[in-house]
Amino acid sequence: MAQSRRDFIKKAAALSAASYVSMKLPISGSNIAKADEGVIWHRGSCRLCGVGCRVELGVKNGEPMGLRGVSDSRTNYGYVCMKGMHFWKCMRHPDRLTMPLYRKSKKESFKEISWDQALDIAASEFAEAHKAGGGSAVAYYGSGQALTEETYLFQKIMRGGLQSNNVEGNPRLCMASAVGGYLTSFGADEPIGGYSDLEKAHCFFIIGSNTAEAHPVLFRRIMRRKLDNPNDVKVINVDPRVSQTSRIADKHLQFKPGTDLALLNSMAHVIIEENLFDDDFLTKYTTFKSGKETVDFDTYKTQVAKYTPEETAKICGDAFSPEDVREVARWFATSKGTVSLWTMGLNQRKRGVWANNLVHNLHILTGQLMKDGADSLSLTGQPNACGGVREGGGLCHILPGHRPVANEKLRSQVEQAWGVPAGRIPPKPGLHTMAMFSAVNEAKIKAIWINCTSPVQSLPNCNLYNEGMDRDDVFIVCTDIFHTLTTQKANLVLPTSFHFEKTGVYGCTERRSQITKKAISSPGEAKPEVWIIREWASRLADKLNDPIITQCIKPFEGLEEGYDLPKAIWNEYSQKLTAHRDNDLRGATYEVLEQMADGVQWPAPTEEFALTGGTVKKFVKGRDPMADSESKDDLPYQFYGPAHPDRKLWIWLRDQADPEEVPDSEYPFYLSTGRIVDHWHTMSMTGRIPELLRANPYAYVEINPKDAQKLGIKPGDMVELKSRRGVNIMPAKVYEGPVEGMVFAYWHDQHEDRMINKVTKDAFDPGSKEPEFKICAVQVKRVSGPKPLKPFIV
Amino acid sequence: MPIGGVVITCRAAHRNAVVRDLKHYSILEVHGADDKGNIVAVIDSQTSEEMETLIDTINKHEHILNVGMTYLNTEDEAEKMARGEKLTKPFGFRKPLEPPDTDELK
Repeated sequence: MAQSRRDFIKKAAALSAASYVSMKLPISGSNIAKADEGVIWHRGSCRLCGVGCRVELGVKNGEPMGLRGVSDSRTNYGYVCMKGMHFWKCMRHPDRLTMPLYRKSKKESFKEISWDQALDIAASEFAEAHKAGGGSAVAYYGSGQALTEETYLFQKIMRGGLQSNNVEGNPRLCMASAVGGYLTSFGADEPIGGYSDLEKAHCFFIIGSNTAEAHPVLFRRIMRRKLDNPNDVKVINVDPRVSQTSRIADKHLQFKPGTDLALLNSMAHVIIEENLFDDDFLTKYTTFKSGKETVDFDTYKTQVAKYTPEETAKICGDAFSPEDVREVARWFATSKGTVSLWTMGLNQRKRGVWANNLVHNLHILTGQLMKDGADSLSLTGQPNACGGVREGGGLCHILPGHRPVANEKLRSQVEQAWGVPAGRIPPKPGLHTMAMFSAVNEAKIKAIWINCTSPVQSLPNCNLYNEGMDRDDVFIVCTDIFHTLTTQKANLVLPTSFHFEKTGVYGCTERRSQITKKAISSPGEAKPEVWIIREWASRLADKLNDPIITQCIKPFEGLEEGYDLPKAIWNEYSQKLTAHRDNDLRGATYEVLEQMADGVQWPAPTEEFALTGGTVKKFVKGRDPMADSESKDDLPYQFYGPAHPDRKLWIWLRDQADPEEVPDSEYPFYLSTGRIVDHWHTMSMTGRIPELLRANPYAYVEINPKDAQKLGIKPGDMVELKSRRGVNIMPAKVYEGPVEGMVFAYWHDQHEDRMINKVTKDAFDPGSKEPEFKICAVQVKRVSGPKPLKPFIV
Repeated sequence: MPIGGVVITCRAAHRNAVVRDLKHYSILEVHGADDKGNIVAVIDSQTSEEMETLIDTINKHEHILNVGMTYLNTEDEAEKMARGEKLTKPFGFRKPLEPPDTDELK
């Protein structure tokens, strides 16, 4: 019987799925060839979260028509989540920005203008701001979703051209505490191991992460590991809220928000008390730190001894027993390999760095590092927070290649690489995100470029900072693919190419850099950011009559923007700026990245080594080439990270510290916020994909049934959440999710009634400067029964 | 009319019951199941939205732990869009959706 094309496609779909679980189906492989007729599959990375799933975009007659996972990719083995499966629908979306838009005053309507006019205006405004206030009057606020080439070139123009370290990005809001934790505990940013540990782990310690919804493809790997080894693998979930992730947990510990520092110290106490620590590892590789002092093991032992399981259970709200603490500590310490995973539950805290340190402490204490199946693995929220922003110089205090800007020697290396005069880059770090938008409030910053992110919605206590962005004496440029709440406060909106419409590299959670090449054209007159930056900088050089700005873009003049230009930028960055740094990417050339199914993990100093996939385990001789080249003794592990001159791992003495704001009689509930599986950040993309929007058309608040009963709230009732900063009204979902005394709201909704960052608090960690989105105090009140709601997308 | 390939995972002990339940969905074809609780299926729906709704539904099944997607082909819709034809559910969200049933929130 003749088969239709749909039959071929269905059989190809079945074979695709079966191949991932090594299942043989009675279907001929020739169906795949038939289904692929006329289709070209272009390999790249998913546009959304930080997992770095490799995908292939199907293109037929120049138009995108489908997506499939790459089965030989070590990030996702072919799996893609539903968000990921749909992101490509943004490519031909009718809402795409296709022409530059401008208005002199924010009170006016936008008018379409030409690129020539747009670039001229952007250059004039930044030049005028610079003449008025120097480097401190201009700013760049970027994104962990920008390609590395984009972040690198933006910060080069800002620092080398405009002599401004006001270079920031939204990873300050999500990953800065993880950076601080890695630097202070391990001496080097980013994890030692990676995803390959998941299939070898015997214990998972998941804390402050709803992995099932925020990183579903990694969750699948963890789940598979657990299901295949139900008795040999333990899963511990530590979170004030029971989530989808808890479904595979052997033990879920709920606790009063903000008390997990005590719990982590208590686990350390049990490990010491029961002699479960790795004495040999501690002797060879560990230093104990208390503030600026070096202390000894006994001091540490005494410090954690006050966190007895009994006392800790009380501190944490009596939601678990002392024996629960002992049991999870034993599982953690005695397993053949323990992997910890966390995200914003630890990072978005007033003491986020400390929380990170305390997880790392447990790994150092037990030697659960450097071996397969063991790692302290911070999961990244965005696809290029690591690669572009953390490694490429996208924060105010760091230059490319993990170089602190305050270090003269390292600053000089960058100036030499760029061919700009010594002293061109200011030594003082720029303004971190919250300080930057405070400076916008005061109009100390006169011109700011906001790229690929929406701070109007994503900053905590956003009402306060939106006042500044409304000012007519602050010029705002936005580069984006869609309108967002932030473009509504811009003077100039520049339409950019989307993923697969341009070429560049993303670096995901596990130190892995992966390329996505241009596969389709951009709509209208949308342009790649690298072209926009180059052309803007060229005009800026003219207006400021500054040849050094011209020098910054000289290597890139005249190059075609779809491939040659980003390649030249990547070459400069990887060859000149990462050489001999801990994120050495010299071997990860475009030629190598294009050959790899799943990119390269740094350090990868040579192409030959990069072609093996790079470094799976940092610091291990024989596996990490820098552990060999930087070796100082005969020990198998070499901690060559730039932040620890003693080349040791540091265990930190950190006490329990309360959040900035805790409930009181006036604001009696904790509020926490997070991501939902169907939506990405401020939903400017996923909110425009009907099937994703419809799955969760608006935010709601989760309330524990006991609290709901006390407050007279029934499922679907409209509930007011009020803090000292702002108010939201949203529907209630009543279920056994949040711990009693806490409510939980999703943060994607753009509607003014349900934009939860009007309510959150802008206190931040004194070390990492990351805000405490996760905890504040609110009133919770029923305002009415269920009401029909309309989704809102600007 | 999108076609998706999925791996549905449940605990092995529940595999047969889950396969039995999945067979009630007319747009879902089960192609195989293994001893680990992996079920290979194809979803052939009229719209992407219908596919999403089904995946949401089966994700809520008491014994299903995960629905992993590996393949999605929407060439019919892509071709229609390229020809400038209007779809019943076009990309974009110009008009408010019908308010969802409040029961969904319970």
